[in-house]
Amino acid sequence: MKQNRIPAGDLAPEGIYPPTEEMLDEPVPDEVRARQEDNLRAAWKTPQGWRYWTAVNNSEVGLWYTLTAFFFMLMAGVMALLMRLQLWAPENDLISADRFNQLFTMHGSAMMFLFAVPMFEAISILILPAFLGARDMPFPRLSAYGYWCFLIGGVFVIGSILFDAAPKAGWFMYPPLATKEQGIGSDIWLLGLSFIEVASIAAAVELIVGALKCRPPGMRVNVMPLYAWYVLVVGGMILFAFPPLIAGDFLFELERSFDWPFFDPTRGGDPMLWQHLFWIFGHPEVYIIFLPSIAIAAMVVPTVARRPILGYSWIVLSAVGTGFLSFGLWVHHMFTTGLPNISLGFFSAASEAVVIPTGIQLFAFVATLIAGRVVMTLPMLWIAGALAIFTAGGLTGVMVAIAPFDWQVHDTYFIVAHLHYTLFGGMIFPVIAGVYYFFPFFRKKMLSERLGRWAFWLIFTGFNICFLPMHLTGLLGMPRRVYTYPEGLGIDWLNQISTVGAFIIAAGFAVFAWDILRPKSGQPQIERNPWGGGTLEWSHEIPETKWGVRSIPYVTTRYPLWDQPKMVDRMDRGRYYLPDAEEGLRETIVTSVIDARPLQVQRVTGPAYITILAAGFTGGAFIFPTFHLYPPAIVCAAFAVVCICYWLWTSTARPPEADMKEAGLGLRLPTYAAGPQAVGWWAVWITMLGDATAFASLVFGVFFYWTSNAAFPPPGAEHASGTLVALATAAFAAAWLATRAARGLNRAGRVGAARAGLVAGPLLTAAGMAAIIFSVLDLDPTTHVYPAMMWALMVWLVAHASAGLIMQLYCLAGSLFGKLTPRYDADLWNVTLFWHFLGLTALVTGAMIGLVPRMM
Amino acid sequence: MAEPGRDDRQPTAHEDEREFAEERESLWRITLGPTIWAGHFLICYASVSVYCFRLERMFGMEGLRLALGALTLACLAAIGWIGWRAFRRWEVWGTGEFSNPVGNAEDRHQFLGHAGFLLALVSFIGVVFDALPLLLIGSCR
Amino acid sequence: MTASLRAETTGPRPRAPRRAAARLWPLAALALLAGCEGRQSVLVPAGEDSRVLGDLFWVMLVGAVLLWIGMNGLFYWATRRSPAAHSQYLANWLVILGGILFPTVTLGALLVYGLSIMPDLRATGDGPVIRVTGEQWWWRVEYERADGSTVTTANEIRLPAGVRSTFLLDSKEVIHSFWVPSLGGKMDMFPGRVTEMTLGPERPGVYRGQCAEFCGESHAWMAFEAEVMEPAAFEAWLEAEAAEARPPEGALAERGRALFFAQGCGGCHAVRGTPAVGQVGPDLTHVGSRHSLAAGRLGTSVEDFAKWVANPGAWKPGAEMPAYAHLTDDQLGAIATYLEGLE
Repeated sequence: MKQNRIPAGDLAPEGIYPPTEEMLDEPVPDEVRARQEDNLRAAWKTPQGWRYWTAVNNSEVGLWYTLTAFFFMLMAGVMALLMRLQLWAPENDLISADRFNQLFTMHGSAMMFLFAVPMFEAISILILPAFLGARDMPFPRLSAYGYWCFLIGGVFVIGSILFDAAPKAGWFMYPPLATKEQGIGSDIWLLGLSFIEVASIAAAVELIVGALKCRPPGMRVNVMPLYAWYVLVVGGMILFAFPPLIAGDFLFELERSFDWPFFDPTRGGDPMLWQHLFWIFGHPEVYIIFLPSIAIAAMVVPTVARRPILGYSWIVLSAVGTGFLSFGLWVHHMFTTGLPNISLGFFSAASEAVVIPTGIQLFAFVATLIAGRVVMTLPMLWIAGALAIFTAGGLTGVMVAIAPFDWQVHDTYFIVAHLHYTLFGGMIFPVIAGVYYFFPFFRKKMLSERLGRWAFWLIFTGFNICFLPMHLTGLLGMPRRVYTYPEGLGIDWLNQISTVGAFIIAAGFAVFAWDILRPKSGQPQIERNPWGGGTLEWSHEIPETKWGVRSIPYVTTRYPLWDQPKMVDRMDRGRYYLPDAEEGLRETIVTSVIDARPLQVQRVTGPAYITILAAGFTGGAFIFPTFHLYPPAIVCAAFAVVCICYWLWTSTARPPEADMKEAGLGLRLPTYAAGPQAVGWWAVWITMLGDATAFASLVFGVFFYWTSNAAFPPPGAEHASGTLVALATAAFAAAWLATRAARGLNRAGRVGAARAGLVAGPLLTAAGMAAIIFSVLDLDPTTHVYPAMMWALMVWLVAHASAGLIMQLYCLAGSLFGKLTPRYDADLWNVTLFWHFLGLTALVTGAMIGLVPRMM
Repeated sequence: MAEPGRDDRQPTAHEDEREFAEERESLWRITLGPTIWAGHFLICYASVSVYCFRLERMFGMEGLRLALGALTLACLAAIGWIGWRAFRRWEVWGTGEFSNPVGNAEDRHQFLGHAGFLLALVSFIGVVFDALPLLLIGSCR
Repeated sequence: MTASLRAETTGPRPRAPRRAAARLWPLAALALLAGCEGRQSVLVPAGEDSRVLGDLFWVMLVGAVLLWIGMNGLFYWATRRSPAAHSQYLANWLVILGGILFPTVTLGALLVYGLSIMPDLRATGDGPVIRVTGEQWWWRVEYERADGSTVTTANEIRLPAGVRSTFLLDSKEVIHSFWVPSLGGKMDMFPGRVTEMTLGPERPGVYRGQCAEFCGESHAWMAFEAEVMEPAAFEAWLEAEAAEARPPEGALAERGRALFFAQGCGGCHAVRGTPAVGQVGPDLTHVGSRHSLAAGRLGTSVEDFAKWVANPGAWKPGAEMPAYAHLTDDQLGAIATYLEGLE
């Protein structure tokens, strides 16, 4: 029983790996196959009737997600049509100024936050597991939770337009306009979209872990489908781009709710800080939207060219390079704010440099098409349209990246044209190409070739009729975001052309939507792999099965369906890994990050109500403060925490019935993992990177005020109590130490000592929270931005410490009730990891409140 | 039973740590180029901001521009060295596809080497571009 | 609209550089195409800055069109004209040359071009210094004179041709952006900080400027006229502008003046030389001589004044000035006559 002494998380796989050809050629008896299929079918059964909505499987959640995002896009599109009608003639009075401002604010916000980013996540949730031959995402309930959050938040935000209460300060929400705005519009924007951003980050974490840890055995990083690479890059970008906005939203809402003057220049605040935080998010956001669409093109192009993609590593590297460079562009949205020329120059330079990796990606596609035998299919037609439009948008992008030229066209219709060219070419067209390409994958029916061509030509011509003239409209002096314009500027006829074009686009979308939604019951199911693709998603069986892949293959090539001819047959027979579900549990295989060696059988979670409840309460916690109803918000937040604890307690890191399990092909894999072996640990690590970025944004804020404002902190200002800050920092450090020690003690079998650490931890945390609160209590945050910033840092720390405290108690409870033992200690590893970040946050906060201001 | 180039090693309990240790150098190379670009970019932007908002009256800009120029040269040299090492690791006249039907560690190794080289190239161009404003614009206006 | 139909008083400008004239034909063609007089157009430059930026635009446009045709031509060729498989060797080189080498060189050159023109566009001014403050939704304009005094006006900028004027930009409540496309680029106006820009107008004429940063409900109606004048004319105008308001002429205007004070207009507006010293709204000392009323919203006829005073919100949603709908048409006419006479 040597095994029982080593922690379950440290068990090594046993048996044969990699499999040999002889093993793969062994037949599977028919009765075994039938029994296995029955087991799998039972384990992966979609809930029936009204319980359908408790499904968490990626194929269901991904579908809901996609349709919801598509619906929000149609709504935002209708808003655009209303705006185009208003702009049909000069001094038109169809729509009032106030209503128009709500419309363009909501059009931009919805397209960005409710369509473009969620659409990437939706499509990825839907198809990434299939690309990787996995059965599901690593955390299905997290996907479901993210979806319900998105739905609730999205309906709340977009619904406000029907009540004439929508935000109306532009999708960029510049203070002081947005801080002064009467009504609840700005609060809806800030709280509703923060809520959705949290959901987006959750999805990003899951997608990153999925691409890193849920690849099929043998699929090394150098043979991963390009889509998975893009998921990694984009997920990473979301992790570093969204948190600055969340930090900005946090400050903004504190100003709106409690009058803490972060952006009010009369009390030392600075509206420029918001612009920095917003655009540090806002520019990477453009690439977050664009790269996944390139990824779709990267899946369509090889199929069309009938050959592997040319320059695989070039494309991967371009994606990574674009990801990096995109964080050096944000000030090009602020070229007219009066920053020194030389600062603008840096951002002009980076904005030009980012064109190079983008160009490499496009040229790699063209090169693949040149080197291949092209069969022009409908998805390819959309890709061609995308290229025509995107290159035009990219070239105007090169123009506006030159700062002095931007001084002329910034905030004019030239920019409206430019951004729609990049977004239609870089997002809408490739996504529609993806819908035509992947529709047979997820619905097992083809879309209509004829309707598809109609939709293409309507949208393509309509788009150019609508947006090409806008370049000239802008050059003739029409600013953006005007609800009307005087006659005599020579822009009347241009606006009329644009309006006509907008309705042609709408007609195209109507055709497209009809093609998707029309009943297809009379239509035959597709043949397997209708496009002749080479990647794993086309191995799925017809008719549809809910288990994804029948068995998880051993993959050594980039286009296994082309290069490993016997593979599909072996998969179907269940010759590969995890062909069975004997315990009736949903399982997928976890592999190593670089070489994808099989490491573990991961039990994934099944249908649940708790995710819906958790999302509902989380929604309440964000939505009630919009109406300044704080008590119900706090109640909702508490219930949300309870729901999430219940969900984690009942379905994650449970000690398994057996430590090892046959995974097929003579390989035995552990069923439990802790620490860096566990997907949950990776998820915590990745989430906390994002969280640390948000915290770094707050710290950046302090230094920003110091550079931009000679009186920060104001001379003679009262500082936080040094003693209390020091005490708080010491208490948090001790709590951190206690948590880390508990992990070691627990693993060493000294359960009593570990529990003592988990009792001391929360007490020390609580003491630290009290000390840090009292240290700033004498400062009045409404008087000046300096005390407000100190309070904000305090609130941030206290909020995180509360989470840390709950986690310590969760582990203590786990230890007391046998969920957490010396052998099964994954929870404590994850909590310790969280505490590493929290400990650092506490130390930095201590320095920022107690030391730094005294030295400034 | 073993095919040529086939990688028969068993996965271990701490497989991820092992693989990362094996590719530590390649992974460094991949991230180092862009990280140097990012560092150069941030230092240039931050020091110019602090100078223009806080220190403009205390000393002339030439000193700052010279210092940042020296930093640029150092960054270019570092990226050049990384790129050169990556270039030598990678079989230049190979197929450039870095995959084969049985899958082996060498392909992955070469792929990461190539990756490092390309990212060094893009970072190099990025640093050169970012140095142009230092050369062409000499004041805080 | 009277304001917008007002003809441009443009004459040929003797000192305009020749290279600009040589490039004028495409501009003129486009201007004609647009069927307008180009009072607010980037493509019809009337100053040094806009001319330099116009040149930059045409260079970039030609380059962009050529590149677009090249890239899409290649794609068309590869997918439609010659879909058969071609040499992989050629395709590889295409990525290296087209994807890396060519863009690096062209973008580098463009960047050098763009950066090198920036210092001149922010050269220190040698002409008048003008403070412009963005209000909801109008422009407070103050000229700083050599003797240290300031001349306050609103919603109109006048500039001498041939020198660089300096603008010190500020805002009262929210962010605005100051932009006269015919003269040059834009610059944002922030509450709590002063941004600076300089413009070097060359060709006399009346141009239209507009707020370019979304600033609330009537953002669309925050405009102004910018008149470029010969230096001597400018000096004369500034002298006149510095003077106190003319007394009303005629009984109707006299009655208007009385009503103006009886209605409390002076609480918000200043009319220098009278008891009206309000600072909330635009200075009205010489409002009758301006090109437009209410920041480019209306003309300056008597009817325009009457329409505005009766109900500002109808012309500019959200305007802070209350409606004077309780006044009779006669009373409105009298006030309007008085205001129109303030030349």
